[in-house]
Amino acid sequence: MIRGLGELESTIMDWLWARRRPASVRDVLEGLRQERVIAYTTVMTVMDNLHTKGLLKRRPVGRAYVYETVASKEAYTAGLMRRALAGSGNQAATLVHFLEQLTPEEAAALEAALQVFPPRGRPA
Amino acid sequence: MIAGIVLALYTIVAAIWLPELGRRAARWAERAPRLAIMLWQAAGVSVVASAVLAALAFAVPADVVGHGLAELFAICADMLSDGSGLTWTSAVALPIAVLVPARAAYCGAAVLLRAHVERREHAAMLGLLGRHDTDLGAVVIDYDERLAYCVPGRHAQMVITTGALHTLAPEQVTAVLEHERAHLRGRHHLVLAGAEALARAFPGVPLFERARTEITRLIELLADDVAARRHPRAQIAAALVRLATGRAPAFTLGAGGETALTRVRRMLNPEAPLRRRERLTGLAAVAVLLGGPAMVALVPSVSSFLAHHCHSLFIL
Repeated sequence: MIRGLGELESTIMDWLWARRRPASVRDVLEGLRQERVIAYTTVMTVMDNLHTKGLLKRRPVGRAYVYETVASKEAYTAGLMRRALAGSGNQAATLVHFLEQLTPEEAAALEAALQVFPPRGRPA
Repeated sequence: MIAGIVLALYTIVAAIWLPELGRRAARWAERAPRLAIMLWQAAGVSVVASAVLAALAFAVPADVVGHGLAELFAICADMLSDGSGLTWTSAVALPIAVLVPARAAYCGAAVLLRAHVERREHAAMLGLLGRHDTDLGAVVIDYDERLAYCVPGRHAQMVITTGALHTLAPEQVTAVLEHERAHLRGRHHLVLAGAEALARAFPGVPLFERARTEITRLIELLADDVAARRHPRAQIAAALVRLATGRAPAFTLGAGGETALTRVRRMLNPEAPLRRRERLTGLAAVAVLLGGPAMVALVPSVSSFLAHHCHSLFIL
């Protein structure tokens, strides 16, 4: 149930991000109905949740709300990745990175090390 | 009392000198990261245990212990209720014996809780922003920065950005994900949390600071080794270099440069694994670190116990 709602949240956010302009619950419902059978109240609940979570902003138009994404998907992604990286220094137990952050000089030193023994089977 | 002094001295010497010993054995540790991690963990446990046991040895006279548990509890109860028999040493030592493990447990719980909350928030956003790639078995995020990491925990997942996917050859992608899978399977986040907890609980203790740094480093070497069982070492090295270059300078903290260089060198130019005798020596050291403090603490009690009971036998 929760997983299903999570997936619907993601679908609705993607739909709104792709649309790039405000939409009512009715708009979203009609947009999604092309792909799946879904109830008006379900979409309304999920969009209300997304508003509570701060992902959507809304303003009343007539008797309904019109919803809009607070920020672009790219902005959210950049924020999430930045937090993921910032956390890696002092809270190693939260996320485990493949590679810690390097300075450009350190990255260059790595490249030099690879030049000495180029990997087989693939041009460096 | 003598056991207490020995244990207290050991605590101080080990907390200061063991990191130095570890630094000298760094090259050896790189050949056997798993064993080296065990040694750092054992050293940490050893120092905490000896501190607690030293405090207990000062607080509770050994000849009391020898007379059996009932009497020991009676004396402790007396000490706590009306302060009779409470010397100044036990007044100082008893709180230490309680506070040291309590502080370690508190910091451990705090680290785990915070990591859990952060991971849950992170996973919720990943659900919105990423898409699960069934072939890779990982979440793919549309982002130019070349990143790969794992989110440990009950709903563990691996994350890789499109930037990394575009840079890496397919076999390098699988090698990177194998490395992350090794972190998840080995529950490395708990190892890191333990090291983090000790370093936070007792800031400024050289052993715990050093253990945290070393364990963070060694755990990457260990995951590389696991990935190298199924993937060519050269591909892991190439993946490291490709992920290290072309990153936005705004994010650079310069924390892991030396480790990354070590990892590339190890993958390209592997050293022989430890010989059987070296491995056994390492395991023996783990046993001594873990068992040593308890042995020292028990000597006076056991001898007093024996003296007491042999005395009884003698009378009979």
